[in-house]
Amino acid sequence: MTHHQQSAFTVACQECSVDMEPDSANEVVDFYRRHRRQTGHDVVLTRADLEFEPPTADDLVTVIADLENRYENGVPIGIVAATMSERGFSVGETLDEIYEVRMTGALYEPRDDHLAAF
Amino acid sequence: MTRWNNGRDEVEPVSPDITDETNALPARYFTDPDVHEMEKENVFGRYWVYAGHANCIPEPGDHFTRSIGDREIIIVRTQDGDIEAFYNVCAHRGSAMVEETPMTDPGNASRIQCPYHLWTYDLEGELASTPKSFEDARLNPDLEDEDVSPVDPEENSLMSVHTDRIGPFVFVNFDEEPMSLAEQAGTMKTELESLPLEEYHLSRRIVSEVACNWKVFAGNYSECDHCQTNHQDWVKDLELLDSELEVNDYHWILHYKHREDVEDEMRIHDEHEAKFYYFWPNFTVNMYGTADGYGTYIIDPIDEGRFQLVADYYFRDPDLTEEEETFIRTSRQLQEEDIELVERQQRGLNSGAIAQARLGPNEHTVHRLHRLAQEAYEA
Repeated sequence: MTHHQQSAFTVACQECSVDMEPDSANEVVDFYRRHRRQTGHDVVLTRADLEFEPPTADDLVTVIADLENRYENGVPIGIVAATMSERGFSVGETLDEIYEVRMTGALYEPRDDHLAAF
Repeated sequence: MTRWNNGRDEVEPVSPDITDETNALPARYFTDPDVHEMEKENVFGRYWVYAGHANCIPEPGDHFTRSIGDREIIIVRTQDGDIEAFYNVCAHRGSAMVEETPMTDPGNASRIQCPYHLWTYDLEGELASTPKSFEDARLNPDLEDEDVSPVDPEENSLMSVHTDRIGPFVFVNFDEEPMSLAEQAGTMKTELESLPLEEYHLSRRIVSEVACNWKVFAGNYSECDHCQTNHQDWVKDLELLDSELEVNDYHWILHYKHREDVEDEMRIHDEHEAKFYYFWPNFTVNMYGTADGYGTYIIDPIDEGRFQLVADYYFRDPDLTEEEETFIRTSRQLQEEDIELVERQQRGLNSGAIAQARLGPNEHTVHRLHRLAQEAYEA
């Protein structure tokens, strides 16, 4: 996609050599889902300007619990993906991890694609 | 009648229809979310739409999924070797069954099973088995086991979707009584079926998201008046003035003559030219003159202002040679150049300043695209 103003996020599929600049963090996740549906490929965040220092905790639940202070009614799942990308996780790897943890009941979605920790 | 919109008036089309070849589809059809919703039924719910390539699912049980509009379907190779399509919806309680499975990474299963209550269907879509809990009423004090009515396998089969093929290209149609694929495809079907398309295999899929309405890109693909200025590397080997744009009922063909003859082994077709087929509503077949392979585009709408460009490349050997890699890179460069153009056009359309575009004499293919859209909207 061509944009004149630099977006806060850039997401790329290395196998397709394509990237896009989504308008919001959750658009990163929407892009991943659409792209994976067609190709099976994972995607990575190549730029994420979070405007804050990401939490330093290692486990996903603590990261989300930390981020909850900044958001009302859940942390956008794309912000979680952006935070985890700082640690080398692809978007797909983060979403897989979120799924695993959600199945344990330690996370829930107060609204679609927003996460909160118990 | 005004072509422009100064911001004080409602945006109105110049003419109520687009029968004049210089009239484009009014601009709001490229920007209005309601039009996008309407197209899911009137365009993608009625015409034959490309689903995928038969070579990707060679064995019984091989399958991939595809989303068209809001419909999610499974395309599966049946036990007897045919290809069928079903809604990815269980007849029991309506659960989606198969996880999203791209054509590039197809799944294989001997049965289609719903993970919710384990209703299991054979590859022809007929209900093959249900768990014991559907045969007795042990938790229902008001019902005796012998009064439980059996689940009829035929009545509870998966909902099938019409499928047909042009060579290895699999198409689906959601209409109850669609026109035949042969009628929609016309001469394109016979032309393509005369080529050994099935001898080539999917080698690369590149998927891009583009910030424009799908019809904007379709229009760009359908004409080459922009090529001299915008695809300068590509056109230097072409005789653009000898090219031809051929319009048929539901498809049009862009014939591009090469400046010099291309060696025979560099292409799969006989003509000394490249041939690019646009097949309404959103599929193209790209017959290259300079590579022994072919490509397809799927122009898949995401919403009124975005679409996915799914570019597939087919070669004899799925493992690409260096020349083939270079060829795909060149093709990608053309896509990037076009993406720049169509996103710029969409910005202009989004501004609301223009009510209806004016087409040139060599954009009769674009006019055909717009006429087909108009016919679909009014049907």
